[in-house]
Amino acid sequence: MAVRANPNLIDELEHYGARDASKCYQCGDCSATCRLSGDASVFPRKAMHYLQLGLEKPLRSTLDPWLCYYCGDCSERCPRGAEPGETMMGLRRWLTAQYDFTGISRFLYRSWASELAAILMLALVTGAGFLGFGYILGGGNLSVYDGAGAFLPAHDVHIFDWTMGITLALILSINCLRMWRFTMRGEQAAPVSPSQYVRHLQLLPLHFFTQKRFRDCENKRPWATHLVLMLSYLTMLVLIMFFLKEMQSGPKVNWYVHSFGYLASIGLVTVTILDLRGRVKKDEAYHRHSHESDWMFLILLLYVATTGIVQHVLHRAGLPMAANITYVAHLMGVVPMLLLEVPFSKWSHMAYRPLAMYFAALQQAAGKGS
Amino acid sequence: MAQERIGVYVCCCGTNISRVVDVDAVAASALAIPGVGIARAYKYMCSNPGQKTILDDVRKQELTRVVVASCSPHMHEITFRAAIQRAGLNPYMLEMANIREQCSWIHDDAAAATEKAIALVHAAVERVKFNEPLESRTAKMCASTLVLGGGVAGMAAALELADAGQQVFLVEKENCLGGNVRRLNLTAPYLDSARDLLQSWTARVERHPGIRLFLNSELTGLKGFNGNFTPSLRTGDGETLELEAGSVLVATGYKEFDAARIGQYGYGRLPNIITSFELESMLRRGKLETKSGRQPRNVTIIHCVGSRSQQFHSYCSRVCCATALKYALEIKSALPDAHIANLYTDMEAFGKGCEELYRKCSEAKTSFLMYAKDRLPVICEAARGDGSEMIVNVEEQLSGEAIEMPADLVVLMVGMEPREDSKQVARLVNISRDKAGWFIESHPKLDPVATTTDGVYIAGACQFPKDIPESVIQGRAAAARILAKVAQGEINIDAVYSEVQEKLCAGCGTCFSLCPYGAIEIDEQKRVSRIISAVCRACGCCAAGCPAGAIKVRHSTDEQIFAQIEGVL
Repeated sequence: MAVRANPNLIDELEHYGARDASKCYQCGDCSATCRLSGDASVFPRKAMHYLQLGLEKPLRSTLDPWLCYYCGDCSERCPRGAEPGETMMGLRRWLTAQYDFTGISRFLYRSWASELAAILMLALVTGAGFLGFGYILGGGNLSVYDGAGAFLPAHDVHIFDWTMGITLALILSINCLRMWRFTMRGEQAAPVSPSQYVRHLQLLPLHFFTQKRFRDCENKRPWATHLVLMLSYLTMLVLIMFFLKEMQSGPKVNWYVHSFGYLASIGLVTVTILDLRGRVKKDEAYHRHSHESDWMFLILLLYVATTGIVQHVLHRAGLPMAANITYVAHLMGVVPMLLLEVPFSKWSHMAYRPLAMYFAALQQAAGKGS
Repeated sequence: MAQERIGVYVCCCGTNISRVVDVDAVAASALAIPGVGIARAYKYMCSNPGQKTILDDVRKQELTRVVVASCSPHMHEITFRAAIQRAGLNPYMLEMANIREQCSWIHDDAAAATEKAIALVHAAVERVKFNEPLESRTAKMCASTLVLGGGVAGMAAALELADAGQQVFLVEKENCLGGNVRRLNLTAPYLDSARDLLQSWTARVERHPGIRLFLNSELTGLKGFNGNFTPSLRTGDGETLELEAGSVLVATGYKEFDAARIGQYGYGRLPNIITSFELESMLRRGKLETKSGRQPRNVTIIHCVGSRSQQFHSYCSRVCCATALKYALEIKSALPDAHIANLYTDMEAFGKGCEELYRKCSEAKTSFLMYAKDRLPVICEAARGDGSEMIVNVEEQLSGEAIEMPADLVVLMVGMEPREDSKQVARLVNISRDKAGWFIESHPKLDPVATTTDGVYIAGACQFPKDIPESVIQGRAAAARILAKVAQGEINIDAVYSEVQEKLCAGCGTCFSLCPYGAIEIDEQKRVSRIISAVCRACGCCAAGCPAGAIKVRHSTDEQIFAQIEGVL
């Protein structure tokens, strides 16, 4: 089957951060230097060329960008400055937008002003919403933080969390389904039997929790920091979704719950600061280029982590009003971050990446690499 | 022959010869031949001590003839001729026996090789006994030059020669100077205007007192020989004219490949498929549009049209890759939103500044699709909903995908081929052409501007596809070659040539038709052939072909040949 080229694709990808791919002249140094690239999927070289040629459909159905963890060796080695690592990053953003059925992802990635406006708008709505809720339906008294008559009762926030969580999970699931359709049901994909799907299912939790593929890169540091960030994030998520009541109780420290929160907070703040510092200093190839969405993600994450810590400390320090205000400010960061990042932006790779490993293994088992 | 004393010198050539051939046995065997006064073997005969040995022997032992058994005469005949001349002998009293290329290098069996070397030395000794002292002669060298073709190569040479104070006759078939460069817009890789490049030169050529310019004119005949040609011209006014020129420079250029010969490209059938020269003229007019007057959004450039192909020309036309890159930038600067796809077989943009040009094109997001030489792209008319004029189908080699490329304009990079009149020109000036029809140079590396005919030179793309700087270089190199000859004032005529013994000649003309150099004239009045010794290369065709045995080749007489045969037996 012939593939129709879309000559505008390379221009489109510029919005997603792949600005140098046109310089590639297909020497293959990138793939030769990459520890993860293999016979089954030769990346970044193949994806670079497909992008240059505007082969949109095959690119949409490739898993290659998700198999790369961006150690940056390829970009260091590239003789033309074509930034294959950043091109793969750009393709991951583009694929995220392709998988997203709402079109919001594309909108946010293509315009940083829109993304910023969306964050600010959601923050204001959230702030106003929680303040209104606190005064009208909640405790009504800003100086009560926990227990009976709390300004924002843990029970109500919990319901809000779960409603939002289920909605986001639903959207992300649909996007994951689209990813499956593009990559596993395309013209080039080999048919995979249901039993195969079951047999390889353990790959999903394996890659999700260990990210062991990342460890195969020569530089182990990015794997370590990435793992710490992911586990901290995950810990925090579990605490909020299941232990919100304990988290919000006090002012005594509940060590069974809070100790996890402290560890996760340390992890989040440390790695976020390290990452921000890396992106400013640009010492490593993988930090040399930053898309606007990278900055917003990191800044939001740092903001959310710090406000979370501060409201906790204020609560313990016996300043419930300040704690409540900080709590609202914290939620003003949490809601836009989750709403925008989980199904439409960077956060979604927590789902796409393990899925890609799983699908790639299935394809290979079915006798055909991606 | 009793008073003759022959010296035989057997060279070891380091171990090149002595490794296989027993050189002492060869020398000992030579010493036994009647007439041989001395025979020696030595490590390197061509070295200064080796030559000195010969020189001293000739003087002290009063040798009259010399045989050197060593390498091919191509290698060192001139060396040893000069050596015996320094010793007071006529240089033609030398023979060489090739016991290296024809013996030691090609045989393993030492005994048989030695036997063969002995036979070759015997043959040379027998032959040298019949060598005669010969003297070379000189003829006058006319300082003026005829230049055929007013393109960049011809103009470069004409200006160089005229600036050196010599008369130039510049003959151009068209009504203006500039050749194919006149058809270009910008030039690769620096994007200089072709018009500006030409303007300074055409103005100088037209005004130069040393250059007589003949526009709309062509060469109709060329008589004479090196240093003494008489070309006849037909000028624009229909006059015929005879000139005198010492040298002839052929700089007649090339023509472009006819794209209609490749049926599947549909050139001439689909309206928006154009050749590179048609694009040049669009760019010159500043009007880049499809036949229906729209601005093209997608432009596809197909490389190697007629070049590097089994069916058409096997050679690479050398300038098209860089030119195609130039187009990508020119189109991009005219239409910044246009996408340019280069369909190439191999990217061969090799010259100075071309790698940078390639890079610039990549950065300008030109896409490069590699097609296989035996699977040419196929151009189809687009369907209504396609949003483009055409669809180009390529089996892209690096991705392995069959790709449909939308295109509003397809540019065919037509290669270079010899002009239709190249055969006629070659016959007129007596030079040869290769299989494709390009003029052949005297030596591909060491003498790339001369031809096998003395006094006739070639420059520019009539020899092979060339870019502008290369054509200018070759034009100027030819001028330097001609000026060196002019500076000598006269030409040397080799002492070795054929002679007609008029008493025996019946004027049958057999030799005239056999001679590959055009060195024979028939004197109609006396009914005899005459050989122009300056043109004759002593190949011997005439002598071998003459039914009356009336032709003698100096330095390869029947006596010498028969004696040599006797010697080898």
